[in-house]
Amino acid sequence: MQMPSAVYTSPSYPLKKFEVDPNDPHYQTTNGRTTGPSDYVLNAGQVDRDKPSGPKMDPVNPDIPTYLSQLRMQLTGLQDDINEFLTKQMEIAKNKRVKVESDEKEKSSQKKNNNNGTNKEEDDDIY
Amino acid sequence: MVNLNSIPTKNNRGYYIAIGLEGSANKLGVGIIKQPVLPTLLEGDNSHKCQSEILANIRDTYVTPPGEGFLPRDTARHHRNWCVRLIKQALKQARLTDPRNDVDVICFTKGPGMGAPLHSVAVVARTCSLLWDVPLVGVNHCIGHIEMGREITGASNPVVLYVSGGNTQVIAYSENRYRIFGETLDVAVGNCLDRFARTLKISNSPSPGYNIEQLAKKCKNKNELVELPYTVKGMDLSMSGILAYIDSLAKDLFKGNKKNKLLFDPKTGEQKVTVEDLCYSLQENLFAMLIEITERAMAHVNSSHVLIVGGVGCNLRLQEMMAQMCHDRANGEVYATDERFCIDNGAMIAQAGLLQFRMGDIIKDLSETVVLQKFRTDEVYVSWRKT
Repeated sequence: MQMPSAVYTSPSYPLKKFEVDPNDPHYQTTNGRTTGPSDYVLNAGQVDRDKPSGPKMDPVNPDIPTYLSQLRMQLTGLQDDINEFLTKQMEIAKNKRVKVESDEKEKSSQKKNNNNGTNKEEDDDIY
Repeated sequence: MVNLNSIPTKNNRGYYIAIGLEGSANKLGVGIIKQPVLPTLLEGDNSHKCQSEILANIRDTYVTPPGEGFLPRDTARHHRNWCVRLIKQALKQARLTDPRNDVDVICFTKGPGMGAPLHSVAVVARTCSLLWDVPLVGVNHCIGHIEMGREITGASNPVVLYVSGGNTQVIAYSENRYRIFGETLDVAVGNCLDRFARTLKISNSPSPGYNIEQLAKKCKNKNELVELPYTVKGMDLSMSGILAYIDSLAKDLFKGNKKNKLLFDPKTGEQKVTVEDLCYSLQENLFAMLIEITERAMAHVNSSHVLIVGGVGCNLRLQEMMAQMCHDRANGEVYATDERFCIDNGAMIAQAGLLQFRMGDIIKDLSETVVLQKFRTDEVYVSWRKT
């Protein structure tokens, strides 16, 4: 059985491959780590009636999920990996932006101070 | 010339079958319709007389706790986890055992709506299309409402009042487009009612607007309306100010703020206004504004027929007020449908999509299936109607 996979590329991240390890329990469930209801609605008292159904078992081999169920579980795990990766990337981008902004702030305040200093010196020169 | 029979039916069986998938907001709908090939559709403007048969029209609503709206991420999750189950149910109800051979076209909502829920349903539509080798058609949600309303009521060329949680528009057909004559400048009428329901913390089941309507019916003081802003601006209207104002009144009522002279008698401190009075006044005020702009559009296009579509369209008080206005006009008539077709559903997407399909308008590449959060009614070229 061919495993599903995914590839992510961007100017800042040349290549990231996502692959399924069929033996990892993470790829053997339809309940993903990142695909549940949001905390906000749960805190508001939401009862989760929208859970994905569990895997359907093969009628001939009742211990083995059907082909489509296996695919569904693998995709759930793969989706988790992608979501976690993208969330991390967003955090990195956010931190970078914060750093750039604070650097710019620092530079501009330094420049201001320098300017004030120069004026002072010029003033001193005048008097 | 409009020929709705130019595309051959599957296996030349003499009828078309379309599946419609709707998921632009918190309702997920799957509808299956059947249209016969009719000689009356060879030419002329008969797209409202297709003799559509509804084989299935199943809906599941994502309901949130009282006081809460629906968030895109959780709504999309609802649609993702229910879509396949609903399609299976609909196929069973329609007694279609082999979609590959039974279905002529799969229609899905392309927009407008909330991005994540739209996307969830589009993914299912693409998958089914590839799995069954059936062509796809992307449908404008507003056009779906209009075409379903025309088909169900038989209204040939009405002025359309489209009122729902996401849209408020007065529409009239001209030269192959549904033209917007007037619309909201901010929030939609359904959104205004829903948000007021959230302030009142009333149930979202079956829908907040329905519960407001029921409270309004219980108003005992119908002769004395609570004065609210009346904000018709030419052919457009604005409702955000009305919402903010009535929200503040409701909050004062709950807090028992006796300084508010509108709500409490300044001498005795007695409560003058109830929650039911607020609901009734809000409905009367908003609906009066809608009737005013609709009447003006009718005068402009010299029409005496109005079709009300969209979720708010099943409000009986709105239908009653519209009927009263139409009654005063020569030969005036109101066309409205019940909740099966007013509220978002899959059959309406199938209806509009099948009309598009019968005119040869299908998706040629999956890149054309990208959903659009903004997709105005007048962007669609209505090829199935005469100029």
